[in-house]
Amino acid sequence: MRPTGVTTRSLACHDCDALFSAPVMKEGERVICPRCGANLFINRPDSLQRSAAYVVASAVLFFAANIFPFMTLKQEYRSNQMVLFQSVTGLIHQKDYAPLAILVAIFTLIAPTLLILGLLYLLLPLMRRRRLPGAVALCRLVSTARRWQMLDVYLLGVLVSLLKLGKLATLTLGTSFWAFAALIICLSLALGSIDLRELWARIEAAK
Amino acid sequence: MNADSSTAYDRDSAASKGLALCHSCNRVDRVESHHCPRCGASLHLRKPDSLERTIAYAAAAVILYIPANLLPVLRLEAVTGAHQNTIVGGVIEFWQSGDYPVAAIIFVASVMIPILKLFAIAALCVSARTGRFPRAMTRLYRITEFIGRWSMVDVFVVAILVAVVQLGGVLSIHPGPGAISFAAVVVLTIFAAGSFDPRLIWDAAARHETRAS
Ligand SMILES: [Zn+2]
Repeated sequence: MRPTGVTTRSLACHDCDALFSAPVMKEGERVICPRCGANLFINRPDSLQRSAAYVVASAVLFFAANIFPFMTLKQEYRSNQMVLFQSVTGLIHQKDYAPLAILVAIFTLIAPTLLILGLLYLLLPLMRRRRLPGAVALCRLVSTARRWQMLDVYLLGVLVSLLKLGKLATLTLGTSFWAFAALIICLSLALGSIDLRELWARIEAAK
Repeated sequence: MNADSSTAYDRDSAASKGLALCHSCNRVDRVESHHCPRCGASLHLRKPDSLERTIAYAAAAVILYIPANLLPVLRLEAVTGAHQNTIVGGVIEFWQSGDYPVAAIIFVASVMIPILKLFAIAALCVSARTGRFPRAMTRLYRITEFIGRWSMVDVFVVAILVAVVQLGGVLSIHPGPGAISFAAVVVLTIFAAGSFDPRLIWDAAARHETRAS
């Protein structure tokens, strides 16, 4: 039997475990598992600058989304402004609903913060082929954070809430809402232009 | 552990050559190294106890699905009177007031996706034993992993409404116990799909082929 050498070109499909070696690829080309059709890898050697720019924009937008009023409720003569994090603190003030508050905090505040700050910490030094201490551990954390951030789902929740309260009071969207919507676009562009697999290869190559 | 690797794993797989894909950084390396040399995550040929864990999470989700649908998720007090909403009650309300698209979105996200997801997980567990239709089942796995998070929308609606109406006055809104069970169902099904290892389907398919020939 011929011993199987492991090379950096070895690829295994995460869905069906088919083993093959990566073909030589052009910019923007995609590797799809020949056996099960899983999307494995996109070759984008030039993507680093672009995704770093999107992450910086996402960071600014996330900051903006958290300081300006998100929605304003008007009922009769009073109006009430809501800031993004109040969807967490509002639940804490309700008796017995702390677990729910923690979940909402993870999905809409903690995971996105980890994801955005983590990517900044990883991508900016990588532009000079450097890596800062803790990059390896942080990269693992970033992949987890990516799975648990639910900003897009939250946005759908906002739209449903508008319609749900529409008949009882007037809800208007604040500056924060638009920053939030732009953030979702920027973040998905950032994540789309740098594949986590590629990020790992870059981290390994950096010093 | 590697003694029966030639029979347990399908012949074209990395596992049959003793190679493991790192679940964290996707590097392929010999499983004997135990830890990925690049990122330090532990290496396994297959997710450990995948089926057992998937079934445990899914079973817990099935049980909690009952209170999630019977208990109110939202309590609303207005001048016109107080009323409570269950998940399905919310859908019906939107439907009756003529907001058909919203009613449809909530119905799909909160009612259909959790049920379909639980059926999909059951089908995946069965096919990990039988190895039938591996390609279609792998696609089902990918869909199941992708759509689960959208069920969280109703929980966010509760959080947003509670926050925006916090001053009280004419209108007050409180979360109901159904919201906690419902959030738990969504998180449990995400864990269930996440612990499932679709490569087991291909192993089972290969075992079937060898037995047939
Ligand atoms: Zn595959």
